[in-house]
Amino acid sequence: MKKHHNNPDSCTACTVCIANCPVTAATRKFRGPKMVGPTLERMRLSQDDIEPSLEYCSNCKNCDMSCPSGVPISTLNMLARAKYFKNRKRSLRDWILSHGEKMAKLSAATPGMANFGMKMSRGILKKIGISDKAPLPAYASKSFSKLFKNLKQTSYPDKVVFYPGCFINYNDPQVGMDFVAVMQANKLEVIVEEGFVCCGSPLVVNGFLDEAEENAKQNVQILKKWTDKGYPIITCCTSCGLMLKQEYQELFHIEGVAEYAKHLYDADEFLLDLHDQGRLNTNFGTLNEKYMYHAPCHLRAQGMGLPGVELLALIPGLDVQDADAGCCGISGNYGFKDDKYDISMEIGSGLFKTIKESGRDTVVSECGTCRLQIGHGANVKTLHPLTLVRKSYEAYHK
Amino acid sequence: MQKTTVVVIGGGATGVGILRDLCMRGVDAILLEQQDLAYGTSSRYHGLLHSGGRYAVKDAEAGKECIEENTILRKIGRHCVEQTEGFFARTHLDDEAFEGKWVEACAKVGIPTIPISVEEALRLEPNLSPKIKSVYRVPDAAIDGFRMVWQNVASARKYGGRVLTYTTVVGIEHSNNQVVGIKVRNTLTGEVSNIACDFIVSAAGSWAGEIAALAGINVNVQPDRGTLIAFNHRITSRIVNRLRPASDGDIFVPHGSITILGTTSASVNKPDDTVPNAKEVVELLNIGEALFEDIRSYRMLRAFAGTRPLYSADPNATGRGASRGFVTLDHAHDGLKGFVSVVGGKFTTYRLMAEKVTDLVCGYLNVKTPCRTAVENLVEDTSPALMAKARLYFPAYGAELAASRLGSEGLEKVIARIQEKPEKRQLLCECENVTMAEVEEAAADSTSYMISDVRRKTRMGMGTCQGAFCTFRSVGAVDANGLSWGKDTNVLFKEFLQGRWKGIRPILWGNVMREMELTRGIYEGTLNINGAIDNEGI
Ligand SMILES: Cc1cc2nc3c(=O)[nH]c(=O)nc-3n(C[C@H](O)[C@H](O)[C@H](O)COP(=O)(O)OP(=O)(O)OC[C@H]3O[C@@H](n4cnc5c(N)ncnc54)[C@H](O)[C@@H]3O)c2cc1C
Repeated sequence: MKKHHNNPDSCTACTVCIANCPVTAATRKFRGPKMVGPTLERMRLSQDDIEPSLEYCSNCKNCDMSCPSGVPISTLNMLARAKYFKNRKRSLRDWILSHGEKMAKLSAATPGMANFGMKMSRGILKKIGISDKAPLPAYASKSFSKLFKNLKQTSYPDKVVFYPGCFINYNDPQVGMDFVAVMQANKLEVIVEEGFVCCGSPLVVNGFLDEAEENAKQNVQILKKWTDKGYPIITCCTSCGLMLKQEYQELFHIEGVAEYAKHLYDADEFLLDLHDQGRLNTNFGTLNEKYMYHAPCHLRAQGMGLPGVELLALIPGLDVQDADAGCCGISGNYGFKDDKYDISMEIGSGLFKTIKESGRDTVVSECGTCRLQIGHGANVKTLHPLTLVRKSYEAYHK
Repeated sequence: MQKTTVVVIGGGATGVGILRDLCMRGVDAILLEQQDLAYGTSSRYHGLLHSGGRYAVKDAEAGKECIEENTILRKIGRHCVEQTEGFFARTHLDDEAFEGKWVEACAKVGIPTIPISVEEALRLEPNLSPKIKSVYRVPDAAIDGFRMVWQNVASARKYGGRVLTYTTVVGIEHSNNQVVGIKVRNTLTGEVSNIACDFIVSAAGSWAGEIAALAGINVNVQPDRGTLIAFNHRITSRIVNRLRPASDGDIFVPHGSITILGTTSASVNKPDDTVPNAKEVVELLNIGEALFEDIRSYRMLRAFAGTRPLYSADPNATGRGASRGFVTLDHAHDGLKGFVSVVGGKFTTYRLMAEKVTDLVCGYLNVKTPCRTAVENLVEDTSPALMAKARLYFPAYGAELAASRLGSEGLEKVIARIQEKPEKRQLLCECENVTMAEVEEAAADSTSYMISDVRRKTRMGMGTCQGAFCTFRSVGAVDANGLSWGKDTNVLFKEFLQGRWKGIRPILWGNVMREMELTRGIYEGTLNINGAIDNEGI
């Protein structure tokens, strides 16, 4: 992409993206990625109007993945959404859903209270447009950064920088702790920067593009600083990873992203790389357990295969089956919205069915919100792959 | 036999302008066009409603005419003119000394030029090359040839004007050195007939020499071919002219969803020598790069060419040296009364040309009604109530465009079609946002005989996919509607696809190539329109 506007030129109108769009399959309310993305982009450059179905794009990126011409279709949609909101008021609902980090900080002092308040106020949330059925995440009693500060790591010469992201930091810190344990087992010391802010993914989907850009600038500066020093950056959240690595380049014009992006890894991907180099600690203890695996869309969008599945295959006794049943429907905060909840459940229905039919009671997946949705839709337990890796290392020493 | 007072030859800007003017002054008139309206140069052109800046230095009179007509058309032609304004930008390659001369010349003929900083220009048009040296704002505008021609015809029809398309003039009937009629041939049926008339006005553009020759009169029109490139999106929202003595590849004009770059200039023998070639395209890209550095990363849709009707009394003058002003030739001086040719000129000055010719004709006919084409709008504004209604039925980004193409009456009809069958709201042409209902309305018009006629009325097939998807859909629609001209669908397919192909062939690389392979797959593979499978005897 060149210069300051998005170039819809690569689209050949082949409509492959429509065939692969889970939202289009679930509802006629969405006119489809090709139409709303590159096709209307040409119109948006020449006139002002409102495309009502723009709000139905979930930014799941299945269109981008399927496009044979490399058009960043969903990003065109997100930019159009930002343009739409430039001179319009946002709803309280969208503000709340986009500002998980701020909300978390507000309630950090008394997380127990916040969760209690949240349960009580589902009725109120429903009134502002957040579904009362959706699987909203609870806040953890202690954030990852707090837990991490109190953790004594063994120091090693080789270090990695961890970008935890909001979900791990505030909702599911155990994944972060598992990550650190796995790194330590591989003789790596983990650095966590205080200055990291929300990657911006939840802001972008609700049109808070300017705020997302502010966050991006801050993160880019820090990420670049570390990669310049030769440290790899690792995420355990595939949406954060996609944002930091790829979407920043599509959405903004910030120097340095392309350079650090080469050294930014998903945790599973990073461990597999270590394995390829013969440096992975393979002292895996046997786990005679069965799991289903779900590949988050934002992992697939990064085009790195399914490192989680490959990694777990190294663990003796472990039986992990890839569900291979498409999008779970949640797409960040899309499925939390009252008017999108049913669509989101419809999108996930195929996956839920596959999981239920497998008879396995636990699903492994990298993405935090996918795990919430799957737990809700398929009524199963969920785990991050690293939790199993840690468990296997620990089993070895027992 | 049909009878009328005046026959106007040529359904381009000049012809329709004359038809409208005559009809508004109460003169009975018929316009004849050998193909479809706007088939000639009036759609194979750049679509720049000149401020006059391009001519000011070399031809002050033309510059003055332009700014005057530009001011009139921006008012009366609101629904075919897009008031984009324009830039004149001097690049690092252009002579600095010319700039001062140009500013002075513009001031002399009353063309407002406002200097702005390069920084400001880049803020307004971020795709412009940062290497440009200086920029001025001028009141250029974009004018859509198809819509302008149609709107003139719609207005003329209101005043009783008649239009016959696919009707070519084959003879001029006269007795005692006075025109008495015209012989025409229907190009679709081959049928020949006569129309009785007192007066013939030839507004046949580059073909004017051929028409005059039918009466044994010599009119020296030298067709001068210009090639243009249409890009897939609006790379600039303003017209951008190169600030240098008028030359090739100087101008970018945004039109609706696309941008047009042109033009070249070369003398040709035939008025319909309009097949563009790759060499011209590459030349234009090379030149265009000075204004828009990233030009090669923008997808081209097609190339197209038209011929300028350059008139010169001196048979040896050619190209840009020949006069771009216009002349009205009263052939009474050649010994035939009741026959006038109008030649040369520009799209921008069509109304003025029409006024001059109509004045002359009315003089002979003793009609005293004054010209009002400069004060009466081409089409009336669509009422806010109707627009609000249209927005309920048309998809996003569709209502305004449809209204400007259809006018109030047509818009009502298309809305009625959608009201009757809501599924007709779906887009038949997704790239240019044209509904099934509008295509059906255009197809049912008495001037439609093939899919390209529908295209010219709607812009269907003129966007990104260049007919890949809308060809089979529109052929299907025509077939399903049982239109008399829609019987042989194979012919319909080929006519339309070949028309698209003509402009694609000279730009067949990169994305265009991929698009064409997709199109070929659909039509040759899936639909087997070339009968390849039959030929193999399967
Ligand atoms: C490449 C290019 C770019 C240009 N750009 C601009 C611009 O940006 N701005 C501007 O102001 N001007 C521009 N011009 C000039 C402008 O387009 C022409 O001057 C104008 O369109 C001429 O209109 P017309 O009606 O005289 O001719 P035409 O539009 O050619 O109309 C003549 C019509 O007569 C018909 N005809 C011919 N023979 C017969 C027959 N025997 N019987 C019946 N009908 C017949 C033809 O089919 C044709 O439709 C450009 C020209 C070219 C070539």
